[in-house]
Amino acid sequence: MWLPIAFLLVGIILGLLTDIRVPDAYTDYLTIAVLAAFDTLLGGIRAQLEKKFDDIVFLTGFFSNVALAALLAFLGVQLGIDLYLAAVFAFGVRLFQNIAIIRRHLITNLRNSNKLKKNTGK
Amino acid sequence: MNAVSKRNKWLMSIIFAIVGFMAAIQFQTASSEPEFRDTRDQWEVRQELQEQQKVQQELLEQITRADRMLEEYDEVSDEEKLETLKESIEQLEQQAGLTTLEGSGITIKLEPIFQEWEEGAPAYPTVSPSLLTHLINELNTFGSEGIAVGEERLVSISPIRNVNGDTYVNNRPMQPLPVVIKVLTSNPQKMLDYVNASRSRDMFALDDISMVVEAENNLKLPGYEDSLQLGILEFDSSKETGEN
Repeated sequence: MWLPIAFLLVGIILGLLTDIRVPDAYTDYLTIAVLAAFDTLLGGIRAQLEKKFDDIVFLTGFFSNVALAALLAFLGVQLGIDLYLAAVFAFGVRLFQNIAIIRRHLITNLRNSNKLKKNTGK
Repeated sequence: MNAVSKRNKWLMSIIFAIVGFMAAIQFQTASSEPEFRDTRDQWEVRQELQEQQKVQQELLEQITRADRMLEEYDEVSDEEKLETLKESIEQLEQQAGLTTLEGSGITIKLEPIFQEWEEGAPAYPTVSPSLLTHLINELNTFGSEGIAVGEERLVSISPIRNVNGDTYVNNRPMQPLPVVIKVLTSNPQKMLDYVNASRSRDMFALDDISMVVEAENNLKLPGYEDSLQLGILEFDSSKETGEN
């Protein structure tokens, strides 16, 4: 559990240290890519908690989501429609859903472990 | 099973790192402001410094002058105080252009150019307000100390407008051509050269008006006759840099 968090911190620090700035024209793409990444990440955590985690699904999901989101943003720019808002909306909704499910899983896990402790304590 | 979960862990970790990297870049991009880069080189900075020093010098001189005046007020008797007050009023009136001014300068005589036209008689040329404003702006940049268009003394709030097709100066119609513009300056020869080489001459020529410029040693400018209405002016102490 600690390894991913450590790597997340390493990634953040690396990102801050490299001092890379995306040009204004591409900020939309990055925004949506970050959102897609968060979505996939939370989906992965949820799958892990549900014990349905599949590394191939996770990996392909991560990259295809990010690529698809960027493609959608690109298409939107070309057509003059703010299509990236659709992606933001979809990912946003899924983000909240996933977080809710993860929260429930954590609560049930906590309760179960508490019960287990009580039972063993008695 | 164990090997698989370990691989998953590393996979997750690397994905986490990528996400963190992306989020950090996004954060940096979002929080970065369009930076203002100072691209002046050393020489330009030095020039700027010199300019600012000049401004400072002027301000200091102003302070000294004001201090001296204050001292005069403090030291002398009431009668002399009145005298000083009158003097400063006179000085200010002179600066504002309310008094007649005498000195050396140039006269610019605007005359119509008559050409033979093939079809019909041309209209009698008139000076348009924009043309006159342009000329006066040029004269001011060349360093004039006072300008009068005909008998109208120009002060800093003198309007030059088009009213029903006529050019009005100081809210009075300008007399038809020929018109003499008197310009007071300490160096008439230089001003003469400036005006002769200026673009105004060509622009006036386009409107069929010629400029005859002569230097004169004894020129008399009339004072501004109307009252100065300064009700709409506001004093901005932060921008006030004193008289020019």
